[in-house]
Amino acid sequence: MSPSKKPTPTLISRFASWEGFLALITLGVLLAAALFVPNFLSTFNISQAIAGVSERALIVLPMALLIIAREIDLSVASTLALTSVIFGMLIQANVPLGVSLSLTLIAGAALGAFNGVLVTRLKLPSLVVTLGTLAMFRGIGYILLGSGSVNIFPDALTNFGIDNVLDSPLPWTIVPFLVLAPIFAIVLQKTPTGRRIYAIGGSPETARYSGINLPRTILLLFVTSGITSAIAGIVFTARLANARANNAVGLELDVITIVLLGGVSVFGGKGKLTGVLLALVLIATIRNCLGLMQIGGDAQGTVIGLLLITSLLISNAASRMYDLLGVWLATPKRE
Amino acid sequence: MDGTTVAARAAATSKPTFDSRAVVSLQGATKVFGGTVAIADVSFDLRAGDVLALLGENGAGKSTCVKLLAGVHQPTAGDVLVEGQVRRFSSPQDSQRSGIAVMHQHPGLFPDLSIAENLFIGFEDEKAHWLIDPRKRLAQARGLIDLVGLDCDPRAPLSSLRTSEQQLVEIARALSRNARVIIMDEPTAALSQREVERLFAVVADLRAHDVAMMFVGHRMDEIYRIADRIAVLRDGRLVATERASELSRDRAIQLMVGRSLDGLYPHNPQQAGGLALSVSHLSQGEAFQDVSFDLRAGEILGFGGLVGSGRTEVARVLFGIDQPSAGAISIDGQPVQFGSAKQAMAHGLAYVSEDRIGQSLVMDFAIRANASLTVLDQATRAGILSPGREIALAEPYLERLRLKFSSYEQPVGALSGGNQQKVVLSKWLATRPRILILDEPTQGIDVQTKADVHAMIADLASQGMAIILISSELPELLGMCDRMIVLREGRLVAEFSRSEATQEKVIRAATGAYPTSTAPAALAASAPDEAVTASPPIAELQGARRFAHRELGLVAAIAAVVIPVVLINPRMLSPINLTSLAMDLALLTIVAAAQMLVLITRNIDLSVASTIGLCAYGAASVIHAHPGIGVAGAIGLSCLIGLACGLANGLVVTLGRVPAIVVTLGTMSVFRGLDSLWTGGKQISADQVPQEWLDMTSAKILGVPTVVLIALLTIVVLALALRSLTIGRELFAIGSNPSGARLVGIPVERRVLLAFAIAGLLAGFDGALWASRYATVDARVASGYELTVIASVVVGGVAIRGGAGTLIGVVLGSLMLLAIKNGLTLVRVDPLWLQGVYGLVILLAVGIDSVVARRAAVSIKRAVS
Repeated sequence: MSPSKKPTPTLISRFASWEGFLALITLGVLLAAALFVPNFLSTFNISQAIAGVSERALIVLPMALLIIAREIDLSVASTLALTSVIFGMLIQANVPLGVSLSLTLIAGAALGAFNGVLVTRLKLPSLVVTLGTLAMFRGIGYILLGSGSVNIFPDALTNFGIDNVLDSPLPWTIVPFLVLAPIFAIVLQKTPTGRRIYAIGGSPETARYSGINLPRTILLLFVTSGITSAIAGIVFTARLANARANNAVGLELDVITIVLLGGVSVFGGKGKLTGVLLALVLIATIRNCLGLMQIGGDAQGTVIGLLLITSLLISNAASRMYDLLGVWLATPKRE
Repeated sequence: MDGTTVAARAAATSKPTFDSRAVVSLQGATKVFGGTVAIADVSFDLRAGDVLALLGENGAGKSTCVKLLAGVHQPTAGDVLVEGQVRRFSSPQDSQRSGIAVMHQHPGLFPDLSIAENLFIGFEDEKAHWLIDPRKRLAQARGLIDLVGLDCDPRAPLSSLRTSEQQLVEIARALSRNARVIIMDEPTAALSQREVERLFAVVADLRAHDVAMMFVGHRMDEIYRIADRIAVLRDGRLVATERASELSRDRAIQLMVGRSLDGLYPHNPQQAGGLALSVSHLSQGEAFQDVSFDLRAGEILGFGGLVGSGRTEVARVLFGIDQPSAGAISIDGQPVQFGSAKQAMAHGLAYVSEDRIGQSLVMDFAIRANASLTVLDQATRAGILSPGREIALAEPYLERLRLKFSSYEQPVGALSGGNQQKVVLSKWLATRPRILILDEPTQGIDVQTKADVHAMIADLASQGMAIILISSELPELLGMCDRMIVLREGRLVAEFSRSEATQEKVIRAATGAYPTSTAPAALAASAPDEAVTASPPIAELQGARRFAHRELGLVAAIAAVVIPVVLINPRMLSPINLTSLAMDLALLTIVAAAQMLVLITRNIDLSVASTIGLCAYGAASVIHAHPGIGVAGAIGLSCLIGLACGLANGLVVTLGRVPAIVVTLGTMSVFRGLDSLWTGGKQISADQVPQEWLDMTSAKILGVPTVVLIALLTIVVLALALRSLTIGRELFAIGSNPSGARLVGIPVERRVLLAFAIAGLLAGFDGALWASRYATVDARVASGYELTVIASVVVGGVAIRGGAGTLIGVVLGSLMLLAIKNGLTLVRVDPLWLQGVYGLVILLAVGIDSVVARRAAVSIKRAVS
């Protein structure tokens, strides 16, 4: 009897249950919002909500990959701010829009490479390195622009930041994410690079002994994180028509919360983008609803913080029960 | 069970009767792990004033016997007896309490703690003394290390010692117990000749003091010198227990290996092809020296030798994982140098590691994903991985090996050891190697799978693959290989062809039972000793110097910042400025110390700043609304809130098993949100609180602000607690080696909870001080302060990975950051630049630390080789 090529219900069902669980909660929250929160379903509100989450949406993509690979990047928000400043200054210096955009992306790549080299060459823990660059990058932004801002941008950019696609509630600012998300998903799930990322996170030693080039992969991830943060910086600048050094303070924590809530394990090697995207929708909805109910930013943070902690507590308890159950079920049939 | 019942049972099964001098015995002990029987029906006793040597090949069951007596495992059947009474050891502490001390082969010691601390940590009577008497402890430590012949400063960190010296510490640790029974598990494996002699002198002394001893070892010379009786284990059974004087070495070896080679090993007559691999005078530091051999296509070359003889190290160098220190490798006549596994693979090499779970498999992956891990690029169609092609790459080998599985998506964790190994082999065969290195390929595998694997190996050789087979199983080595070399302690001591090899010859070469004529002339017993005596006490250099270096470095850095600023703006040293700076320092160091407590246990607390904010508002609003509560009351409340926050963090981390970074990321927002709710957008200003509240921090005693004195007192108390309380040292131990800490009986969860609780308490305390100092309190208090706190501890030298850190460092780190901030302000630099500078300082601090640590490691290595 040849072995089947269909998945067995064990590991898969466990993950399906986390994404399924998330999907249920997200649907529930969406439903409750639609029914109980006035103005939630208005085109304007949906459009605003989606626009407001454009940058986070972009940054969760490389962050998820990094955490799966057992690294982390705390400097994403600072990279966003610094590239936003660089972009603003280029525009102010009358550099053509296309060239400004390209140079900004290159700057993002360079910042990401800086992180990557410190982590891979000097073998410093990414938590500490990116904590340092979190401060340093934003600091450079302040040095360049002080507390001022650049507010004059070409129409092409500001239109991008304000308009919706055709007549839909979809703002243009979410389009970069809509383009990149499938690419990231395919790379992670369906390419050798993605498989290597999972291997590095699951067992760095095995990855090394299997001929995987860890430093190169990790460097690539940090550079990607830098470029994506730069894209987010451009989107942010366009959306608010404003480039300043203190843009997006604290965004990194939101992004990490979304990734962890989305089922990516902080120990590495596990997690899928579908869960992360569900978590993104969930958190965006919660923040939007709370905002509509006149509940401020800090209190929103409380809700999200509690959500993060409870979700992990439940997940741990569930997996411990699952393991016990699995041992009990598997014992008679062990090969 | 009392003595009579035991004796009756023993008599009934006609085992050797219970000897009245026996202190500890195994009686009919059987231990089964999963499906494997490690030992079956083993009985022996350890007698006062007598040394029993336990002999046996790898896998014979020696370490299982040790673990049963040490209380690490419980027997599946049979008993452990202490003075005739059956005892059930549920933990290593139980075994210790019965008077048994164990010298482990791989000691789980704590590299960040001092040598003296490593000697005593975790022991029962230690814990009874919650206060450490440093002078008494130092004297005891000196006595012990003198006893084992170790020359070092007991205050130096353990990590400053070489491996052999660390082994001596483990030995000294066992000796410190005044135990009645001492079990030595391969204590001499890492020691030099001189150190071994010292150990034997100690053993002789213990014998005179009627201590019962068990010695597990491989070196025949040593065994025959030290043992009174010898027990031989083979395949988990005890085959003989005899007096050493009545057992000849030949007979001992025969008993160890005594099985007949009746298992048919598939072997095709050698068709020697061209020279595939040539290794010449290859060395790697301490691991192995001067190894040379050739390997031809179609040949199976065996590597024999004991565990630790250097075989795996040679393989790792061949495969590019490690770099050689000398010698050359050439493939097909071309010299090669591999910097990574990938490069080795590109030249047709494949390495099947002996560590299946840690180095060969990703346990989270399914069969398909593991099997294709080495050939991912070939399994794609237009850049996208195709499950069909992945399976196609692995299928032929999985089928040839007859893997039993129900689906390619089955997680490998669910497979038996044998089937897991088949997946590993497929993974490597899919790369179509020309040179295959197999490291213990059939270890821990059932008989049928072994046969399948052996058949595959023979087949591959007959098709021209050059194979190196590293094995500790003599029948396998002799049955499969065309030629074999034997390594002992890093040197190639013998080479046999298939026809001339016998089990006895191999074991003799591997254990050095007799000096063989093929061994290299200089067996290097003397050379390492010269290195030991000639070099200065490294430990002393490392320990004291390293600490002084770091703190001096910080002081120098601070001076480097302060001096230029003072030159530009002398107001930096004015009393007003210094007072303000000191008060800021006071507030920062208290919370930085809190963070350090958590960090040394290998956790982190991102919520400290939010806790400060919450408690600051709590204190201020309470004393505003109810001034009658007084300063003490407000501080008390603030501390209480902080304690609650810390406990919340700690409980979720320890009971909920959620990683600290995630928990405190969440609580950071939660506490800040609660703060926001409580303030409701309002603030408390200076005129709304009693004057005495503000005076608490600003009033001066002898010209020094009270808050500075309070902080000083707090730091001193914490420093004393961390240094002199057992609980304090345990926190370091937990961060240094969490699993080791559990093994020595430290209640890890309770200590971590305590660390978080105290951190919260200190943050609450700091909040009260903050509210008093800054007078205006709103929801934004200490917002963003987390960065400053973590920066202070990182710059101050507290390791993010746990186990190390000093409060002096924390104070200096905090001072450094505040001096920079103050300096920038006085030099009229835009305060917005501060963040950037802080970031740079963090990066410089960890960067320099890393470079210095690496230099230190290299210099230790150099002093040794």
